[in-house]
Amino acid sequence: MPKRWEVYPGKSQVLCSGRCISAKNLSVFYLTLALIVISSCLFLAFDCRLLAVTLSPSVPVLAAVQFIFVLCCLLRTTFSDPGIIPRGTPDEAAWIESQLEGPQVDRDGNYRPPVRLKDVQINGRVFKLKYCFTCKLWRPPRSSHCSTCDNCVDRFDHHCPWVGNCVGRRNYRYFYLFLISLSVYCLYVMVFGIVNLVLLSNMRKDFLMAMKESPTSVLTILVAFFSIWSVVGLGGFHTMLICRETSTNEDIKGSFNQRRHPDLINPFDQGNGLANCCFVLFGPVTPSLLNFREDEIGLGSSISLVTNNGRNGASAAAASTAVTATPAVRYSNLTRNNNDAASNSVGHVNNSVQVISESLPAQLPGDGNDVIVKNGNGAPADGVISGGTDAVGAQNSNTQSASSVHCIV
Amino acid sequence: MGSRPAAQVGHSRKVYIQRDYSQGLGLRYSTAMPPQLQDRMPEDLFEAAIVNINQILAGAENGSVGVYAESCFACLTGYLIYMCMDTHYERSLKEVRKLIEEYNRTVFMPRRLMMIDPSERGLRVIEVVLLS
Repeated sequence: MPKRWEVYPGKSQVLCSGRCISAKNLSVFYLTLALIVISSCLFLAFDCRLLAVTLSPSVPVLAAVQFIFVLCCLLRTTFSDPGIIPRGTPDEAAWIESQLEGPQVDRDGNYRPPVRLKDVQINGRVFKLKYCFTCKLWRPPRSSHCSTCDNCVDRFDHHCPWVGNCVGRRNYRYFYLFLISLSVYCLYVMVFGIVNLVLLSNMRKDFLMAMKESPTSVLTILVAFFSIWSVVGLGGFHTMLICRETSTNEDIKGSFNQRRHPDLINPFDQGNGLANCCFVLFGPVTPSLLNFREDEIGLGSSISLVTNNGRNGASAAAASTAVTATPAVRYSNLTRNNNDAASNSVGHVNNSVQVISESLPAQLPGDGNDVIVKNGNGAPADGVISGGTDAVGAQNSNTQSASSVHCIV
Repeated sequence: MGSRPAAQVGHSRKVYIQRDYSQGLGLRYSTAMPPQLQDRMPEDLFEAAIVNINQILAGAENGSVGVYAESCFACLTGYLIYMCMDTHYERSLKEVRKLIEEYNRTVFMPRRLMMIDPSERGLRVIEVVLLS
């Protein structure tokens, strides 16, 4: 039976037998890697000779530590799953697409494309969910389809060629750490490269002579100098985005631009910059949903997985024998555990199974009245079919009030 | 939403419970019972099951002091600690898996239904298989 990574349908590159994933074209990433590694090696090999002796041996040690940290963050960003949402199974696709209104011809004989939008209200703000025909799923809010990798990515930020991967929910913190650490490292290398040249010129009493004696210093200083502008700029930009709990994709689209439209509140904003930073950088992170190392269970065995054993999938035979056994339904001695699930989870997995009690609660939370789910009506053909850039407020559904502005995510 | 035909695959039919985004991006599934299940199980039982699942998943996605502390500690160890232990999210998903196994054993299988863990479906849907 093939593993899931062997039948992966997207355009990303799967490496190390399903343990790593990155973009297919890594040429710019190799350039980034080369710049960092070569400059660091030159700095450590040549500049640090004088600096270690004249100033302190901690100078090259700190440089080496920073170099390793930058490299780890870069590799982690490049080779980890950015939050790819696995494609829907054919059954799911059939189920969902049977609900979508098909292509129609209206009274005037105009062609109306299949409707693939539905409205969802999140904390007072209406979002239009789009159905991704490639991935066969309703795209969650804040996720987007990356055409380079041909995947839907959760909380899609952007596709970064320098890093050779999409930046999404799962690897955003590593990307940010990479930017910050690289900014600091570039500054460090530049400063100590200059210090090295100054020390050398003091010894030789001639600056030009010092430059000729240590040309690698000039090279590393120049590389660091030109890198700093872009890296520090990008780091600052992302710091601002994190504090506002926005992604690059949303910033470009102006999804939460309240200056233009006061209605465009950000329902994900935690209230203040520090809370947003904590959540984005240290908050919970989804495990990789791709499960590449598992067996791919095809259409042949239609009832898959979830038996008493758990992960390694049951066959249909096991499921049918479980049905014929018909265990007695026991409710009376089972109680519903109302404690916070998080407090139960650590180290008490066996005891934390929650089961339904005989007396069900009178009122259930989230009883669905808050959900406003409507099928979008026929939006203008070019806006829906193109699937390209989605402009804010470009689509106005007749079922919505005129004052609400829609964000197509 | 009306009644829609369950997807037909071989001898079994499937219904899908979609994500509910009304409370935010958190992991939450709609408690509305699909019409295909109405003749097999009572609605309040189904809702209670989904609500229990949603409760555990809400715990997975909410940031708390414990979660932040765990992330900071992991960052300091260079994220190597995750080779030895699961993240808070993974532990919550494992709890959901155990809960669904229990439900299948006590509630769904006797009614010729089987609920598929949403982790197997990329957290997109909860799949309920109508066994023949």
